[in-house]
Amino acid sequence: MDNEIYRLPRERLDALIGRLARDYRVVGPVKHGATWIWTDVRPGVPLALDYPTTMLPPRQFFAPMRETLFRYHRGDDGRFAFEEPASERPVALVGVHSCDLTSLRVLRAFHESSCRDRLVPGRLDRSFVVGLACWSPCLPESFCRDMGSLENESPASLYVYDIGSVLLLKVQTARGREILRDVGSLDAATPDELVALRKRLRARAESFPAHLQFAPEKLATSLKAAESDILWDATADRCLSCGRCNLVCPTCTCFDVCDQASLGGGDGSRVRSWTGCQVPGFSRVAGGHDFRPTRTQQLRYRIFRKGKYMPERHGVVGCTGCGRCATHCPTHISIREIFLQVGRAP
Amino acid sequence: MPQVSMIPEPCRIVAVTAQNSRDIHFVVEAPKRGFTPEPGQFVMVSLPGIGEAPFSLAALPGEGAAAGTFEMLIRRIGRLTNLITQQKAGDVLYVRGPYGRRVEWDQFEDTNLLLLAGGLGLAPLRSFVRRALSRRDRFKRIDLLVGARSPDELLFRTDLLVWASRQDDVHVHLTVDAAREGWDGRIGVITSLLDGLALDSAGTVAFLCGPPVMYRHCLRRLLAMGLYEHNLWLTLERRMKCGLGLCGNCQMDGHYLCCEGPLVSWREVRHLREVV
Repeated sequence: MDNEIYRLPRERLDALIGRLARDYRVVGPVKHGATWIWTDVRPGVPLALDYPTTMLPPRQFFAPMRETLFRYHRGDDGRFAFEEPASERPVALVGVHSCDLTSLRVLRAFHESSCRDRLVPGRLDRSFVVGLACWSPCLPESFCRDMGSLENESPASLYVYDIGSVLLLKVQTARGREILRDVGSLDAATPDELVALRKRLRARAESFPAHLQFAPEKLATSLKAAESDILWDATADRCLSCGRCNLVCPTCTCFDVCDQASLGGGDGSRVRSWTGCQVPGFSRVAGGHDFRPTRTQQLRYRIFRKGKYMPERHGVVGCTGCGRCATHCPTHISIREIFLQVGRAP
Repeated sequence: MPQVSMIPEPCRIVAVTAQNSRDIHFVVEAPKRGFTPEPGQFVMVSLPGIGEAPFSLAALPGEGAAAGTFEMLIRRIGRLTNLITQQKAGDVLYVRGPYGRRVEWDQFEDTNLLLLAGGLGLAPLRSFVRRALSRRDRFKRIDLLVGARSPDELLFRTDLLVWASRQDDVHVHLTVDAAREGWDGRIGVITSLLDGLALDSAGTVAFLCGPPVMYRHCLRRLLAMGLYEHNLWLTLERRMKCGLGLCGNCQMDGHYLCCEGPLVSWREVRHLREVV
């Protein structure tokens, strides 16, 4: 399928979105004030294929920020009955950057190797993803090249290279080919365009500076040698425990569960919602004891989870290098800087 | 892998007994679907609209608890437990589980069992004692060490009295941190109970449950007495939200306590941070 690269004139993008909308809830990056967000798109809505990145990652469509686990209703006998929400429309994401594609692989690896969940893998299975190549770093803090996600083109059924004059569309799965067939006949990319694409891909590496001097697989070992509190105290001292890094992270998976009752109390929902290891109280138990009470412990835990525990338990590095956490940290705690420091240590 | 629902099952309360002003003992009908817990596992109990929390099992079905029921000791400590402890016999709790690791008991056969319970830690360890007594001939000497802040806070007194009367089966040792007049038992921390014990250190398996400070002192002491790390079993406490290895609230390093615990051996977790 490597050679299946078609030209998609920009005005035909709407036809693709229209085709996807028949089977999916279609979402894509859209300009929203001074920023870009993932939101529902339909033909006619200008898709911002030149978007730098979004604050909230695509995981919002696979493990939503708030999700009803079930609804409860008190019957006449006083007992509660439960009802699971109807399964939602599968989602199609159009324009997913390589770092976020990588995060979908991480999410799958996590959920499939963690004890027993089918909810998130099921949504990933039913989804349709159109990837989008990046040509320059989207954030000063991003380091996708170092984390090996810049070159990643899976899992995407279709993958788009915006080479300026035209969009080049690579078919990567049978489902991708099936969808494209309905969009109408597309011309194959011309030899000149393929040459231009190869050139751009070669030149791309230079526009992404190398920040780390080691492969991400080495992180687990480097972190193992960097357990001591004193290495973390100064950085942790800056942490405000706001939890933003957790919320914007494309691979964070932790959630809280609480009940949202109606005013009468007779019915409501049990809801799971995003939380994170940097939020105060996350590791607190009944009676008030906290097993990870200090910011030093919490920060180290977050970094270790991404760089050590995830590779060891789930077989994937938990950081894609997207740069969101550092960008949105109010005190500029940079995971890249931390990785750099631990990697430098002898 | 099947999708595992977090929908609980309504389970009728069979009996409620207050052990003191804040610790309430519940006998509850067991969930119908495959409820065959092992000692050390836990259940998620909820009241819709209020919330859900993990609770350890103080007795297992047919093993200390009547067949088709299980028992819990719930301390009134927050909003959910305040409301749960207001429920009466005949009311319904919403239960899912059991969750957690199933530890095979075959490996403990022909050993001495040493159980150390601090405060509320006696609740989960009660199901261990019941398990041991239900298969008494498979174990050698059994010692139960119980520590409480004061005589008033000693839990499961009826059980303690019954067990204390069965000297051949189990040796019960009690201590309290402080006592008013009228207590003729021992005063001191739980490790002081270890002073008089002649243990076959290589052939003894210890189970510990109590506050973090108790683990720290008891572990040090038991290791110094020569017990093997793989023979020291701790039941740890974390605030699980799912029980399925997903929500991350019970994670210690790379371990999810709801799957790889809460019953763990010291050898398995001693290299992890933030264990006790």
